[in-house]
Amino acid sequence: MQASRARLFKEYKEVQREKSADPDIQLVCDDSNIFKWTALIKGPSETPYEGGVFQLVFAVPEQYPLQPPQVRFLTKIFHPNVHFKTGEICLDILKNAWSPAWTLQSVCRAIIALMAHPEPDSPLNCDSGNLLRSGDVRGYQSMARMYTRLAASPKIG
Amino acid sequence: MKQVEGSSECSDGANPCPICLSPVSQDAYLDRCFHKYCYSCIVRWMKVIASRPSRQAYSLKCPLCKTENFSVIYGYDGSTFQRQYVNQGTVNSTFYSEAHKYRLQCYYTDAGILNDTFNVTRYWKSGKYLQPNKWLQHWLKRDLQALTQEEDVDIIMHHILGVMDSFLKSEQRGQRRAPDLSQKEFKCLVANAAQPFLGRRTERFVDEVELFLASGLTMDAYDEVYTKHLRWKRQPEETSEDAEDRGSKHAATIPYLYLFNDSDEEAD
Repeated sequence: MQASRARLFKEYKEVQREKSADPDIQLVCDDSNIFKWTALIKGPSETPYEGGVFQLVFAVPEQYPLQPPQVRFLTKIFHPNVHFKTGEICLDILKNAWSPAWTLQSVCRAIIALMAHPEPDSPLNCDSGNLLRSGDVRGYQSMARMYTRLAASPKIG
Repeated sequence: MKQVEGSSECSDGANPCPICLSPVSQDAYLDRCFHKYCYSCIVRWMKVIASRPSRQAYSLKCPLCKTENFSVIYGYDGSTFQRQYVNQGTVNSTFYSEAHKYRLQCYYTDAGILNDTFNVTRYWKSGKYLQPNKWLQHWLKRDLQALTQEEDVDIIMHHILGVMDSFLKSEQRGQRRAPDLSQKEFKCLVANAAQPFLGRRTERFVDEVELFLASGLTMDAYDEVYTKHLRWKRQPEETSEDAEDRGSKHAATIPYLYLFNDSDEEAD
């Protein structure tokens, strides 16, 4: 408990110090609970998520960093490895391949990389996975782009 | 352990433990990739890994580089270190007793300090070397453990004993020759047998073997002579600084780790 708190505090200080280091990621810690974080990540360019801003929520376990944080998308996203309803993410480093050397910041980077490189063979969103697996890249991209517009684009005005 | 913070010059400040992100307290290294962590951090992670049923039981992937490692090396004090294997607790540190540690320190003293005590020349001249020494095996095992810091040294021990045995047999069969020739051959044979395992410590080791045989003493009695001669106390809380201080009075030998064959050994 104490160890996870200390480590999260280090991460917090690091985030404050390097706020502008990675303009695609904006990590924010909950005001009253250091185990709760949110992040805003920008959809990577040259993907159907480009132009969108996606919100992630982190629930950090007390055994962190020996156990991975639980992360999910709060913003709706059409992606083979993200559950369409719950926002749950299928990513190896959040499960078996977790290493305590990962940080919340690097997890965000891994999620951005996953957005750019979907893995249709281990889908949480079967519709999305099936489109890609059947070779209908255009179909996948237009669906993903539509949801980016609908759910992830900053409202004008 | 509290660490002094705020000194950005400190290398730990720039290189924090990847697990707690704080300055490394009690350095611990993985045995293959040599990435550094706090001892407590990496051991905690090791336990998490070991508790997973699906995992390969005896290795640990480095959290930083994913290299498979087998043990954590820590408590390095200039001449000795501790080693904790994955999934084995600290079995190793229980086998590596104070006596082993003490013996290893003896190897850092000047060679030949006991030459006045034991008459090596007479040992060879008198032909005493032709008689088997029943205490040798026990002593050999302990010293090999002390030098290699490995528990299972039986293969090395039997290899060396085998070489000595065939030397003895050929000496007993063959004609008597000059004792110094026999001595030379003996030391050469033992050195060749030990070299692959002991590296640069071989020469001193061979001298110790000869000295122990010439002494005709049991292991404990032999240790006693060393203790008396060096006026070392065999106390568990003997710190490395003390040992090095006294060591440097006796010796110019600089203690350092012989973990692997050094590159300059490969060169020759």
